[in-house]
Amino acid sequence: MRNVFLIARREYLERVRTKGFLFMTIFIPGLMFGVIALPSVIATRMSGSKHLVVAAADLQTAQLIREELLKPAQSGSKTLDERDQAGASRYSVDVETDVTDGARARLIAKVKAKQLDGLLWATDDALAANKVPYFTRDVSGLIDHAVVQQSLSRAVHRRILQEKGLSGNEIDAALKPVDMEALNPAGIGPSNPVTTFVAVLIMVMIMYMTVLFYGSNVMRAIVEEKTSRIMEVMLSTANANETMAGKILGVGAVGLTQIGIWTVTTGVLSAPGLIAGAEVLKGVVSLKVVIFFPVFFLLGFTLFSTLYAAVGAMVNSEQEGQQLQFLVAMPLIASVIILLQVLQNPATPLALWASIFPLTAPLLMFTRIALDPTVPSWQIAASIALLLATIYGLMILCGRIYRIGILMYGKKPTLPEILKWIKYA
Amino acid sequence: MYTIELNKVRKSYDNFVAVDDLSFNIEEGAVFGLLGPNGAGKTSTIRMMIGITVPDAGQIQMFGEPFARKSLQRVGYLPEERGLYKKMKVIDQLIFLGQLHGLEAGTARQRAVSWSEKLEISGWLQKKVEELSKGMQQKIQFIASLLHDPDFIIMDEPFGGLDPINASLLKDVLLEMKQKGKTILFSTHRMDQVEKLCDSICLINRGKSVLQGDLKQIKARYGKNNVQIEYQGDGNFLQQSRLVSSYNNYGNYVEVRLAPGADSQQLLREVAERSRVSKFELMEPSLEEIFIETVDKSDA
Repeated sequence: MRNVFLIARREYLERVRTKGFLFMTIFIPGLMFGVIALPSVIATRMSGSKHLVVAAADLQTAQLIREELLKPAQSGSKTLDERDQAGASRYSVDVETDVTDGARARLIAKVKAKQLDGLLWATDDALAANKVPYFTRDVSGLIDHAVVQQSLSRAVHRRILQEKGLSGNEIDAALKPVDMEALNPAGIGPSNPVTTFVAVLIMVMIMYMTVLFYGSNVMRAIVEEKTSRIMEVMLSTANANETMAGKILGVGAVGLTQIGIWTVTTGVLSAPGLIAGAEVLKGVVSLKVVIFFPVFFLLGFTLFSTLYAAVGAMVNSEQEGQQLQFLVAMPLIASVIILLQVLQNPATPLALWASIFPLTAPLLMFTRIALDPTVPSWQIAASIALLLATIYGLMILCGRIYRIGILMYGKKPTLPEILKWIKYA
Repeated sequence: MYTIELNKVRKSYDNFVAVDDLSFNIEEGAVFGLLGPNGAGKTSTIRMMIGITVPDAGQIQMFGEPFARKSLQRVGYLPEERGLYKKMKVIDQLIFLGQLHGLEAGTARQRAVSWSEKLEISGWLQKKVEELSKGMQQKIQFIASLLHDPDFIIMDEPFGGLDPINASLLKDVLLEMKQKGKTILFSTHRMDQVEKLCDSICLINRGKSVLQGDLKQIKARYGKNNVQIEYQGDGNFLQQSRLVSSYNNYGNYVEVRLAPGADSQQLLREVAERSRVSKFELMEPSLEEIFIETVDKSDA
């Protein structure tokens, strides 16, 4: 055990001290921020407040559209809410009742000359045809168009109901969207399906990405050990299994440190939001999820790291490793494919067996636990027990491959040779 | 008491027998040469001694007990395949390897510093290994194998790639170890070094022991039947001479073995007739010659 600890500590310290580690720790969140936040920041900046003109022969229709466009967030589907929030304050809207061709040409010229950002040409003909032209320089601004279109629809519906003589309250009631709640036969359902779904998906993706990324680091660490030719010295003190375990733990700890740094930083930076978010999450993420995420994350991480380590022991260079790496990534990819089905229905036989089979269990059992509160305990226990047994068996197996594989340079081993190594050692 | 005993040890890979029923013992405090041509099975033998591989058959006893991993803390090993972590600082590396051999970090550091002073590389302790020359890396690895003050030191080609000054520096350290009563095993095919350092040898060829025992006795067994001759002129006739049973041309001189019953004085006359002799010396055969002859014989 002392050797495992020493090897793991060396691996950890040598990696954490590098500039590469510092760079990745800063760079990855920077990149994420860039990918997620930058476009919306740019979009807001660029668009600023948009100046639209709503043209309709009927003044009341035009004003209703204007109201809808200026309306702040409204309860309804979550995603559209967010769009509304972003968009609501961004419009200044003028109303125009002159719908002659001359007025139209004049307003379009204004759009062209960037004096206007958009012209909604809601003539009676267009409304009757259920197709209203929207003139803008940016014809592919999806979010923007969705907001305008939705406002237009709501205004038109409201106008129709008004004409039927309904009061404001009656119209509000009629236009109110209906919510649906999904329940399993036992009558239990997630309190907020969409958010649960998204939360689970994000967690699964975190698992998937880290395992792929840090797993291949383990492979690289082993290849490094071989190319630096130090393993003969190492093996004269520590045995192959100790070396293997030390490498996996050391590199794994580096990964966990990095994830830890990110989590804490994000937590501190968004503390106020988090406190508010905790209330929301309380209903979404059950205690089970909070417990089982780290459990399956660590098990999956160790399992795949061990497989990557075995690949490292078999090959002589990283290039050779790249090809075999694909084989290790296969169960992960298969997990994601099956995951799509499990997300739709967490109770199929495929979901059951795939969540117990060790190579796919980490991602799938976790997903089932998160989505289906009725997963029997014995299945969870079986899944964890099988994972632990597999990890243990693989460590010994990989240790054997490692011991022989590292002492043979130059030649890429064939499968029969690898089997022979396992037998020999 | 033997430091290590091999009894009919055998190791084969696929159909290739790397070590074939090899037996030898090394006495405590002795300097032992494990000799043999390339591919004879020297490294395979050592790897079994220190538990990197397991013998297919036979027994290995270390420090009087059947092999156990904990004995390895008393063994210092310098493998032929040299290797260190390239990106690691020299001092950290030495401490790490010392710790793996059971030392406390503080002790390891202290010893690393004093060893590096002794081997004249103390200025390099804070550098990364990749910044060091090959010779210096070799010295670092040499230190690493001795840091935990092992009782049994295994050196696989320890002087390979070193200049004469550094080679002699390391040789002195090893002699010092011998005086302290440590057992040393050399694996090499450089006979001149073995001749200077070893008490006893085992010569292996194709995995089998072909000659072993006390070095002085072995050389005495071959008798003073060798002649070293330095001369000017064409010496090729020596190969045909009936007085000579074997002939080795080293460029600056030739070494010949007298045929059984041949008279050395007659050979001297023969040589003097055909060339100008500047040296004619009767001597024991060099280990190199014994090596070549024995290996040739066992190959035949």
